[in-house]
Amino acid sequence: MNKSLQGHTYPAYRLRPDRTLARKFMSALGDDREPETVPPTYLVFLRGETLGVNLFRDLDIPREKALHGGQRYDWFLPVSFDDELDVIAHVDKITEKQGKRGAVWFADVSFEYRRINSGELVLREVTRLVKQP
Amino acid sequence: MNTLVRGDVLFEQKLAPASRSRVALFSEATQDPNPIHVDDVFAAKAGFSNVLQQGPMTTAQFARLLTGVAGVIWIKTLDLTFTAPVYPEDELILRAEVVETGLAVRCDLTARKTDGTQTARGFAELGIAS
Repeated sequence: MNKSLQGHTYPAYRLRPDRTLARKFMSALGDDREPETVPPTYLVFLRGETLGVNLFRDLDIPREKALHGGQRYDWFLPVSFDDELDVIAHVDKITEKQGKRGAVWFADVSFEYRRINSGELVLREVTRLVKQP
Repeated sequence: MNTLVRGDVLFEQKLAPASRSRVALFSEATQDPNPIHVDDVFAAKAGFSNVLQQGPMTTAQFARLLTGVAGVIWIKTLDLTFTAPVYPEDELILRAEVVETGLAVRCDLTARKTDGTQTARGFAELGIAS
């Protein structure tokens, strides 16, 4: 894993919740109703990949070695379909542990979602990516 | 009114297998380009017997169930560690048990397969109507 990325902050990317994607998100969970509100975890780090935050490339995690170790969400304000958000990703921590088959790497990356007009923080998401030996 | 007490089980819900089509739809909905969720050959190369269901799908199912609990007006925090792979044919049992009450209600979360294998664990903090 590219440990030099620890502490790196990416330039902000902009995001607006999309009703079509939200409908697909809920359908994938088995709920085919029209979502009235943005599903809580609709905002997910994966959306950053096409918007300049390509973590797998930048951290040097080949897809076939990548696992997802966990997620944390802290919500501070509700998110609506009318919200336009600036998202800032920060590589908090990169650690290595020796496993049975070799080194296992962990990267904790946080994403802050802020309303573009007010700057209010609505959500902080932390995702843990794992690189297997 | 918040009448929850430590030990209350908010839900213990068995979910039908997600199926490959819903796993693929979740990838599309989250803009996840990882082939491990849709490509058998790629999944085999990565050492798995089948395509993998996304960890964030478990997170999303917990969020969906928590928002449906009577009295819950707000999820403040949802924190999960994924502990074992989940495949599209797996049934999962999601459980939330209250461990603390006060200004917020804290509950422990577990997801497990029907054979008992734990696939995720964590906690949530909930705002409850007063």
